Order: sequence, then C-alpha cells, then structure tokens
Amino acid sequence: MRVTRLACKGFRCLKDLSFDPGPGVNILSGDNAQGKTSVLEALLFLVTARSHRTTKEGDLAAHGAHAFDISGAFERHGRPLAMEIHWRRGQKRFKVNGAVQDRVSDILGKVHVVFFSPEDVELVRGAGAVRRRFLDMELSQLSGRYLHALQQYRQVLRQRNELLKAPRPDESLLAIWEQQLARHGAIITAERRRFAETLRGLARDAYQRIARREDFEMRYAANIDADEPEAFLEALEANRARDIKRGASTRGPHRDELDFEIGGQPARNFGSQGQQRTAALALKLAELELVRQIGGEYPVLMLDDVLSELDARRSRQLAGALPAGVQCILTATDPGGGRSVLPVEHTAFVIEDGCLERK
Amino acid sequence: MLLNAPAMERLVDAFRQLPGIGRRSAERLALHILTAPAEEAAALGDAIAQARRRITTCSRCCDLTEGDPCAVCADPARDHSLICVVERPAGAIAIEKGRGFRGGYHVLHGALNPLEGIGPDELTVEHLLHRLDHESVEEVIIATNATAEGEATAHYLGKLITAKGVAVSRIAHGVPMGGGLEYADDATLSHALDGRIRL
Ligand SMILES: Nc1ncnc2c1ncn2[C@@H]1O[C@H](COP(=O)(O)OP(=O)(O)O)[C@@H](O)[C@H]1O
Ligand SMILES: [Mg+2]
Ligand SMILES: [Zn+2]
Repeated sequence: MRVTRLACKGFRCLKDLSFDPGPGVNILSGDNAQGKTSVLEALLFLVTARSHRTTKEGDLAAHGAHAFDISGAFERHGRPLAMEIHWRRGQKRFKVNGAVQDRVSDILGKVHVVFFSPEDVELVRGAGAVRRRFLDMELSQLSGRYLHALQQYRQVLRQRNELLKAPRPDESLLAIWEQQLARHGAIITAERRRFAETLRGLARDAYQRIARREDFEMRYAANIDADEPEAFLEALEANRARDIKRGASTRGPHRDELDFEIGGQPARNFGSQGQQRTAALALKLAELELVRQIGGEYPVLMLDDVLSELDARRSRQLAGALPAGVQCILTATDPGGGRSVLPVEHTAFVIEDGCLERK
Repeated sequence: MLLNAPAMERLVDAFRQLPGIGRRSAERLALHILTAPAEEAAALGDAIAQARRRITTCSRCCDLTEGDPCAVCADPARDHSLICVVERPAGAIAIEKGRGFRGGYHVLHGALNPLEGIGPDELTVEHLLHRLDHESVEEVIIATNATAEGEATAHYLGKLITAKGVAVSRIAHGVPMGGGLEYADDATLSHALDGRIRL
C-alpha cells in the first residue's frame, strides 16, 4: 500500500495542500505549529473518516470555513485507487474511484494506515478504555464482522443499561437483551483474542528490535472469557442480580483489558517514560506486520514526532526496525529533518505556515 | 420578505417534523406551497385532513386502514392461519408489494426500545396474544427489522407465542443488516420470507 498523492482544501491550517510522497521514508520537517500533524491527520481522516485528535469534525475545517475536501491517490496491490471525502457543515460524502459511497463502512478498510503519535503512550499508561478503543479501531478495519458485532453490542448495551435504571427492572425483559449481548459479545471476544494472540508475538519482536534488551509481554484479559454465545449468556445471567443492584451492566467486553508487561512488571505502573513509549511504538509496528500478514502488503506508516520523544539510541534502532518496503511518513522538528538520527534514504519535505514544499 | 414571518416559521417547523425532511427541504416545500395557486395548497390541506379522518387502525391487525376491518383482514381468499408481524405499516406494505405472501398481518407500531421508553405495553403485543387465543392461527412469522430493537422484539414475541403452542418463525436471510424493512427490495423480501427460521 502506498499513497502517491494527498491533496486537500480548507483543512485546518493547510493551504491547498498537494503532497506527493515518495515510495520509502518521507520526512516532513518544520517548526512547531506549521501544520506537520495536520498533514498526517488529513490522510488519516480520508481513509478512516476519523481524526486522532478530535471528535468535533467542525474543528477540522479551516477557521472561518464550513467545508473541506481531501483526496488521495493510492496504489493498492499495484493498482491505482482514488479516495475522496467532502465535508460540508457536518455532512460527509465519500467517493471511491469517483463513485459515491453511502456509508462509512464502505470506505473503511480500503486503505490501511498505521498512525503513531506521542499521545499513543496512553495505550500503555492510560485507562482500559484507551486499549479497548485501540482494539476496536484495528479490528473494525480488519473485520466487517467485528464492526457489525461491535455496533450492535453497543446499542444493545445502551438498551439494557436503560432497563437497569428502572427502580425494579423486569428480569424477563433484561433476558431478552442478554441474548443479543451474548451473541455479539462472543464474536467480539473471540476476534479480540485471536487478534491479541497474533499481535503478541509481533509486538515482542518489535520491542526487542527497538530496545534490544527488556522483555515485553502482552495478554488479553477477557472480562467474560467465553467465545461461545451459550457460555457467554450463562455468565451474564449469573451476574444479573448484581447488575440490577448496581444499575449498570458490570460484565462484558466493554470491561476487557489488554495487559502489558515490561521485564515482568506491569508496564502501566512500573514502566519508565521511555519504556512505555517504546512499548506503544512496538504495538504499532506489530500492527503494521499483522496487516501485511492478513492483507498481503504493508499499510502506510505515519509517525508523528516520534524522534523528539525517543533517545538517540532508540531512534537509530527505530530506523533500523522499519521493515524494508514500507512507505513511511515521518514528521520532525529538528532542522536536520531527522537526518542526523535517521541514516536512511528518504524524500524530504519542509512545511511552513501550512505550505508544503519538496526539499 | 418572508424571513422570520411567524406563519412561515410555523409551516417550516411543521414540515421539519416529517421523516427525512431537513431545514432546507422544509423551506423549499413551504415556499412552494405559498407560491402555488391557492387551490393547490387548499387541496393538500384537505387531503391531509380527510386522510386523517378516514384512516384508522384495523381492529383486527392494527394496520392503518380506510374501513374496518382492513382489506387484508376482510379477504376470505387469504390464509388467516398465518400471521406476519411487522413493526410498522410500511413493513406490511413492503411485504405486500413482494406479492409472495398470502397470510394476514399484525402491526406492532414500533419495537422494544427502552431508551425511547417503549416497552411491551406501548406496542400491540396484548392484542396479538388475544388474536392467538381467539383466531385459529397456526403460525406466526416475525418480520421485525434486523436492528438491535427488532431482534429483541422478535425474541420477546417468540417466547410468548411459543408458550401459546403456536409455531413461530423469524425471517432470516436477505434483510439488510441494521436496516429498516421498508428499504428492502421485493426479491430480497420474498427470499427473506422463504428462508424464515424457527425461534
Ligand atoms: N481549523 C483550523 N484552521 C486553521 N488553523 C488551525 C486549525 N486548527 C488548528 N490550526 C492551527 O494549525 C497550526 C498547525 O497545527 P499542527 O498541524 O498541529 O502543527 P505541527 O504539527 O507542525 O506542530 C497551529 O498553529 C494551529 O493553531
Ligand atoms: Mg505536531
Ligand atoms: Zn386488518
């Protein structure tokens, strides 16, 4: 997978952006607040209809504007693919190869990207919700079945929680919704387990390549450890009385955890800043490898500001850990454009006040 | 200038209550009515008032009808031992257009939806159970939408109907995932009815 051109109009501070990245490593350098992250954000939004920094899409339109357009040309399995997104006052329109698409699910998975930014350290350091969002984002791109189960599960959960708020909830009605929680919950759990198992080995390898020493471990802790609806339903039923007492659904995949360990210690509480960052980066590199295994080619890798966050040794090792053949777009604030620490062949761009130029 | 005129605002707001109509469409409709010949606007108002007065719910199947019982319920050529349960009148219309179904209907007027305060009592469930007790119904096909709410409703009805010793099945294949029945095409719905599964 490779992006050959990214263009946008009216997106954040970018002025009529036209960006033609090269096939291998691309370095986007510029001072702070010049628009580096916005370029990556535009690409991310084009292929996932989401931004990593906001859920308020209105913030993405340039100040004073109510519309923006992003388009991209890609090469997927050697064939050209064109994507467009047109945003007008909250309404999104998608096009793939010129044809209008009705739903977000029609564009998800067309182009796979892996995005890493400094805030991703929250994957290791933050609350469980951050890790569940990671699982959901990745799996939704990989599996339509997962996405459907997840959407249904969330809706059913909201409905059951509403019933639980009543002073004396009707158990026969609760049971009705539990049937569906079990059906979709079992799918979510099974898919998360499979994903985590594959990711585990890949993440250990990636961590090793960057850090060279400590041992990284990850474990999926399913809240209801059942991949079959029947067993799942039993667990829900056994817990119903407690749910009624608490007025909320206390068990299910919405309480799942992904546990990380570095050198045998829980990374969340005991990892150093650098270890936590390396672990988060290793996860993203593992995802890169996983997508290649499943889809047959590497996704586009976007690394925002990673170099400023890693020490020189780890940065060098990161450069060495990038697999050959992956297209990578990397941002950097240092004037050397990251060259000092990234001794790899690359295409260089500079960005100043929203204007991007090939160096 | 009509902008902000109270009567205009009222008309626009009334249109906006309609499904699928946003602010802009509502304004376009309102302007059309205000610039069209007076008779045209009066005829529309009259048609709405008449329809509301004449159309009621069928005392047997709860579908909307002009005349009680409705044409389907009154038709001796149809198989009244078979009842197809739908959420809304639009669902019955969709199935009827498919032309493959020769039984009767029962319209629930919604689906279980705690978030919107809709429980069994807000639907025509009691009425359906009453029909099972008093008519010679042999099978009920549940054709609620393939949404979380439609599925929950199907489960709920499935249990109650089974308890009455009546066979019950759920349409299964071809109904668009997460979508409303009224958007499905005829072939899809015929297929869905053929592929029903026992609950
Ligand atoms: N909707 C917007 N319209 C115009 N400018 C914006 C908008 N949102 C953010 N900005 C500005 O864009 C600039 C660049 O942001 P960013 O892409 O994060 O820069 P960098 O990554 O280079 O530090 C910031 O100065 C920010 O204030
Ligand atoms: Mg930035
Ligand atoms: Zn009738």
